[in-house]
Amino acid sequence: MSTIKLNKDLLRKVKRVAAAGGYSSPEEFVEHVLEREIAKLEDAQSDEEIVRKLKGLGYID
Amino acid sequence: MAATGNRYTARNRYLKVAIQCAVAVAGLAAFYSHPHSAQFAYIGPGAGFAFLGSFLTLAAGLFMSLLSLLLWPFRMAWRAVRNRNSFRNARVKKIIFLGLDGLDPRIAERMMAEGKLPNLARLAAEGSYQRLRTTFPALSPVAWSTFATGVSPARHNIFDFLDRSLKSYQPRLSSARVGQPEHVLRLGRFRIPLSRPVVELRRKSQPFWKILGKLGIGSTILRVPITFPPEKFDGKLLSAMATPDLKGTQGSFSQFTTRVEKATYENGSRYPLRRCADGFEGEIEGPEDTFVEGSPMLRIPFRVVRRGSAFELRVEGHRCRLNPGDYTGWQRLTFRTAIGVKVGGMARFLLTETEPDFSVYMSPINIDPERPALPISHPPYYAAYLANLLGSFATVGMAEDTWALNEGVIDEDAFLDQAYGIFEEREAMFLHALESTRRGVVACVFDTSDRIQHMFYRHLGATDRHAMVIEEMYRRMDALVGKTLPFADSGTALFVLSDHGFCAFRRGVNINSWLRDNGYLYLRNGDRESGSFFEGVDWSRTRAYGLGLGGFYLNIKNREARGVVSSGREAEDLKHEIMGKLAALRDADGATPIRTVYETATLYRGPYLEAAPDFIVGYNEGYRCSWEGAVGKVEAAVLTDNPKAWSGDHCVDPVLVPGVMFSNRKIAADDPGIEDLAPTALKLFGVEPPLWMEGKALL
Repeated sequence: MSTIKLNKDLLRKVKRVAAAGGYSSPEEFVEHVLEREIAKLEDAQSDEEIVRKLKGLGYID
Repeated sequence: MAATGNRYTARNRYLKVAIQCAVAVAGLAAFYSHPHSAQFAYIGPGAGFAFLGSFLTLAAGLFMSLLSLLLWPFRMAWRAVRNRNSFRNARVKKIIFLGLDGLDPRIAERMMAEGKLPNLARLAAEGSYQRLRTTFPALSPVAWSTFATGVSPARHNIFDFLDRSLKSYQPRLSSARVGQPEHVLRLGRFRIPLSRPVVELRRKSQPFWKILGKLGIGSTILRVPITFPPEKFDGKLLSAMATPDLKGTQGSFSQFTTRVEKATYENGSRYPLRRCADGFEGEIEGPEDTFVEGSPMLRIPFRVVRRGSAFELRVEGHRCRLNPGDYTGWQRLTFRTAIGVKVGGMARFLLTETEPDFSVYMSPINIDPERPALPISHPPYYAAYLANLLGSFATVGMAEDTWALNEGVIDEDAFLDQAYGIFEEREAMFLHALESTRRGVVACVFDTSDRIQHMFYRHLGATDRHAMVIEEMYRRMDALVGKTLPFADSGTALFVLSDHGFCAFRRGVNINSWLRDNGYLYLRNGDRESGSFFEGVDWSRTRAYGLGLGGFYLNIKNREARGVVSSGREAEDLKHEIMGKLAALRDADGATPIRTVYETATLYRGPYLEAAPDFIVGYNEGYRCSWEGAVGKVEAAVLTDNPKAWSGDHCVDPVLVPGVMFSNRKIAADDPGIEDLAPTALKLFGVEPPLWMEGKALL
């Protein structure tokens, strides 16, 4: 786990919004926001790879 | 300038090559200098990934181990000081959570009334028993995540077994991601990973055992679903559902048989067995060799030798008897990559037929707990500790091989042998944890109850020789409760719970076919049927699509990559239109397959709601999302029979399948839900549940 520095005002807001939003911690909120943005830029995995990883899951054929 | 630039470029290129060579030599030297190089290599199951410990990593690891050993007495002393007040406000010294996945209240209540479950009946009489409200949808990954965190799916991010890529509409396992390492050094045809692979738990929020751990109250968490990869916390944990096999799949069996001449791959793989002078020979296919370009499959040859009327399996210098109908113990399999890294797994074998054809079943290749290729426990040595103490055990997430029975590769008796073998492994772990835990939490989930009901529900109430299998399983679970009760003294709170109940699965509903029939989903070229994973779907005209077992989605603009429905008024109107029409669906005999269509946004609130299906379908008893519909396939018919051995399910309206909750404490809560257990655990240890938890303490 690495550390990112935030200025105090922003951190105060992060804590407030995280609590109001139902996150279990400010870190979880920050991670969620960053993940969401990064996901927009990432490529999707190949279909073959996806199918292979799901193989054996009892609930689907 | 250009010449200078070229010179710098050339110099940089030489420098880069020199650094690459140095790193490679150091890395390989580190490998070969150690007699047990496998333990320093993470090899991704399947097509996955690999991590090669560099010399620096190795040196740092040794240094840290030494330091950790030297500091151990001081750490213990500090912990004793820090934790001396941990239990100051506690009302109990210990909590036991015994999870019996899928234990159904209707069957349990009937059998208790008939005097067939004496231990559960005693617990109910001396403590309490209530039905336990499950999650929407009533699926184990969703419900056990809510058990752990005390929050709804919108706050823990697990809505189904599957979720979808918003870019490609392809399904993914919702709870864990295993990805490739980011940096790979290419040396000719070799691929040397220079960074760790990504192994990520997608379940958000915090489990109650993590909160307790921060306060010095330890927990032992055994096989509670959605704990792969294991999170760090102050306690011990063995991962469960979503842990892959060595190939990176959710558990794919192999059948070696003289019945096929070429390998075939479906739900499990079939490989040819060749007759030879003294028996048969074949090859076990393992994970891919990600150290080599093209990632060829790693293979281990084996032979089955006739010894009079019996047979002997010979693999990697080991020999073991193969008796028809008897599983071998866990056989260690070591796959060697092109650069010498070893990847350890293990499997059990079963001789299923000898004449005229010869077939051997091999279980999915489980990650070996004594030399795990992926992290499966916290602390990392905990899995090895358990294996050394109690013997090897199944590690794959859904360990009971339901597909082998579905496909007829093993029969009912062999499935039951396997399921109870896994049950006994887990029982040994659970009882050991109970014996060795003086204070704190012990939580263990047994899957046997779920898997046996899935595979034998069609026999319930029948008169065939498997008619009593489910009742017998309930008796076995009751006996387990009987073994647990002596540990539940006055200072211990015991909870025996299930995450959902069960009912029959006779007919499948393909939501995608229904959406096509009603003009919400279109296929290219006017086709009526598609391949799996939405192959052939015309997204430019498709307004809704179904994926997974619980619900379906609108194709929303700026959310989905090829969305066509505007969020806001258009989406809301469409939702209500679809909900109304779908509830009117009728089967050929006039039965109503769908009891209720829920709009997910009205069920719960939280930061991950946008990842949820827009609708959750509350199927009536006897119905479920069809096998094909769950993986995005559009079939000709909307309603089809379920012909599989997998004949019981719980993917119905959650109102129809509550779980059970027994306790040695008097609990008389109004409508208790599975989200209430986490805050209850905190409260019993004198810890105020955090505001983000949505459950309410029951005691």
